[in-house]
Amino acid sequence: MAKKIKQIAIYGKGGIGKSTTTSNISAALSKQGYKVLQFGCDPKSDSTNTLRGGDYIPTVLDTLREKNSVKAHDVLFRGFNGIYCVEAGGPAPGVGCAGRGIITAVQLFKQQRVFEELDLDYVIYDVLGDVVCGGFAVPIREGIAEHVFTVSSSDFMSVYASNNLFKGIQKYSKSGGALLGGIIANSINTPYAKDIVDDFARVTNTKIMEYVPRSITVTQSELHGKTTIENAPNSEQAKIYNRLATKINEHVESKTPSPLGVQELRDWAAKWADTLLDLETGVIGTKAAGNL
Amino acid sequence: MKINLDTPVVENREQRLGTIIAWDNGSATNLVKESSTICSGCGANDGERLCESKGPFTQGSVCSEMMVECQAGNIRDAVLIQHSPIGCGAGQVIYNSIYRNGLAMRKLPVENIRITSTNLEESDMVFGGIAKLEQTIRDAWNRHKPKAIFIGTSCATGIIGDDVDSAAAKLEEELKIPVIPLHCEGFKSKHWSTGFDAVQHGLLRQIVNKNPKKQKDLVNVINLWGTDVFTPMLAELGLRVNFVIDMATVEELAQMSEAAATVSFCHTLSSYLAAGLEQEFGVPEIKSPQPYGFDGTDAWLRELARVTHTEEKAEIYIAKEHARIAPRLAELKELLKGKKGYVATGSSYAHGLISVLRELGVEVNGSLVFHHDPIYDSQDPLSDTPDASKNSLDFMVKDSGDVPNFSVSNRQQYQFYGLLKRVNPDFILVRHNGLAPLASRLGIPAAPLGDEHHALGYQGILNLGETILDILAHKKFHLDIAAHTKLPYKQWWLDQEDPFVLAKEII
Repeated sequence: MAKKIKQIAIYGKGGIGKSTTTSNISAALSKQGYKVLQFGCDPKSDSTNTLRGGDYIPTVLDTLREKNSVKAHDVLFRGFNGIYCVEAGGPAPGVGCAGRGIITAVQLFKQQRVFEELDLDYVIYDVLGDVVCGGFAVPIREGIAEHVFTVSSSDFMSVYASNNLFKGIQKYSKSGGALLGGIIANSINTPYAKDIVDDFARVTNTKIMEYVPRSITVTQSELHGKTTIENAPNSEQAKIYNRLATKINEHVESKTPSPLGVQELRDWAAKWADTLLDLETGVIGTKAAGNL
Repeated sequence: MKINLDTPVVENREQRLGTIIAWDNGSATNLVKESSTICSGCGANDGERLCESKGPFTQGSVCSEMMVECQAGNIRDAVLIQHSPIGCGAGQVIYNSIYRNGLAMRKLPVENIRITSTNLEESDMVFGGIAKLEQTIRDAWNRHKPKAIFIGTSCATGIIGDDVDSAAAKLEEELKIPVIPLHCEGFKSKHWSTGFDAVQHGLLRQIVNKNPKKQKDLVNVINLWGTDVFTPMLAELGLRVNFVIDMATVEELAQMSEAAATVSFCHTLSSYLAAGLEQEFGVPEIKSPQPYGFDGTDAWLRELARVTHTEEKAEIYIAKEHARIAPRLAELKELLKGKKGYVATGSSYAHGLISVLRELGVEVNGSLVFHHDPIYDSQDPLSDTPDASKNSLDFMVKDSGDVPNFSVSNRQQYQFYGLLKRVNPDFILVRHNGLAPLASRLGIPAAPLGDEHHALGYQGILNLGETILDILAHKKFHLDIAAHTKLPYKQWWLDQEDPFVLAKEII
């Protein structure tokens, strides 16, 4: 009998390090012996670049534009350690409908039963996290991903995007949609950054999967067109990604988050603005400020 | 597995079958040949099965959503909700008249169609239309207490990504009746027959009885609204008819999985459902030529008889019918001698009609179909050659001869003009609106086969002959129309030899 494929979706605000994180998770899971497919759901189509030596691959939608029909295998490429890479693709900026593009690309793969056929352990969707329309919610709806993780830094706009995602998850949770696994806290190099995401996780009733610091190793690896797992497997950063992948692998039960309302989120942010100001002006002692 | 029922969205025809909607490369034999080999020569189609002629525009026709209206909207104790702006509801007018006529022809109580639109507006496009959909489902339930509610999606909801599946699941739980989302966005397929498949996909997933008690004398007949010619015919074999999808009840649709076999008047319509019933529930699809003309009907009956173990009865019936219609057929052939006919209908139905015309001695040197499926759903898509037993085009060519001018043109009046001029027929056979008026203005009368069973089986040969005689009697009237009307085309187009020239010019 076919095994159960673990399907997860990783959301995050554009530029927050979502594809970097996703590709490193894919690479780490693959090195741990799992068969992984990474599905980029962002019209920029660069989710899988660091799994493919920096190469762009033909996208599902570009292929569909040129041909009458698309065989899923035509848009399926192998990357680092045999990881399957797919990019949904999408329209040029300012035209068409990127959300519809995600619907079309994901449906095509589901209809052709590719995941079952490839005997996968993991399908990881890397999705642009500003859930601006129905299309971007497709991976968290019933029958696609089971677990959602969000990549967020402590920046307010990133937290805001995560909170929006939580709203989407909460909405679809009542109809069999994916639930929230937790937050992958990214670019966490200061105690206050950690405190902010910790506090956000607390108030929204979720948890932090891992704290990932900003690291020059990641930048160096990406400039080589590689993940940290591939380029610097023994680095401290690779250990963190490996630990994260292990936690995701062991993760079983996701939950419905409690997103903040508009005013709640503002009040929450204002409280942190005051705290950060106190830090800067010395009202809070240096001990509490850690290595700021 | 060929048909994938795990996902709520049906795969479109071009993806599943390699369907094309334009082709004009000579004879029917040529189309058979091109359908059976993977194209590798021109490189234009990247190894697809069959190259399509690609013009710069297409004249208005219909879309998948309309096929959902005329199938799911015609189930007697169900309701169809069009989750769409109100414009998509324009088809309700014509489909109501067809539904009422159909019920009358089948001697069922005449009633109005039950289709409701969610009437999506600007604000629904911005904020999502699910709340309206849920309200409409509840309203439909309160008003009609249906046995099932179907939801047809629209281009608008497809683009904004409304989560119709979740809403349907929620209301199914709440109302305790099947609530079936049918994904039929018009933009998703270039050919409307994908709309048939969308309905059939929904039926297979949510209506058909999953634990069937077999009824060994029950035969599913996939049809539209035609008169009931099947009940008396199948009764000769001791079989009962389960008519689906139009004008069936939800219960009749549910028992499709209990039948001994599935037949149809047209492979185009039945392809998905018949293959799905066989794949999922072991109900054999009768894979034979379609029941048109002597050879087609003989072969169809014999295959049905083989599957249902009624061979002896079938042979008696076949012999009886051959003898019965022979005298009048001889007369009709005499009366129709030298006449030329042209068929312009849906794909595999046209193949059947051409065979019937040939039985009547009518010459057919040109015809068109609205689309062409190189294979049907019963076949492995990776197979190089179409399923021989069901290849209606190949059967037509081998059984009754080639059609030298065979085209695929999706109700394109502007091309129809040139196609008719090419062969200059005495009459045309049509089933869909839009083509007969053009032919009339060329002085060519049309037989509108609104009753799709008119030409089916042995009696159908005679029926069609009589109808052609009737319409040929209008010849003078049509010549008068031609003398007093003008076509809407410029002289440049009227002078064109090639109706597909726009697809060939480098623009």
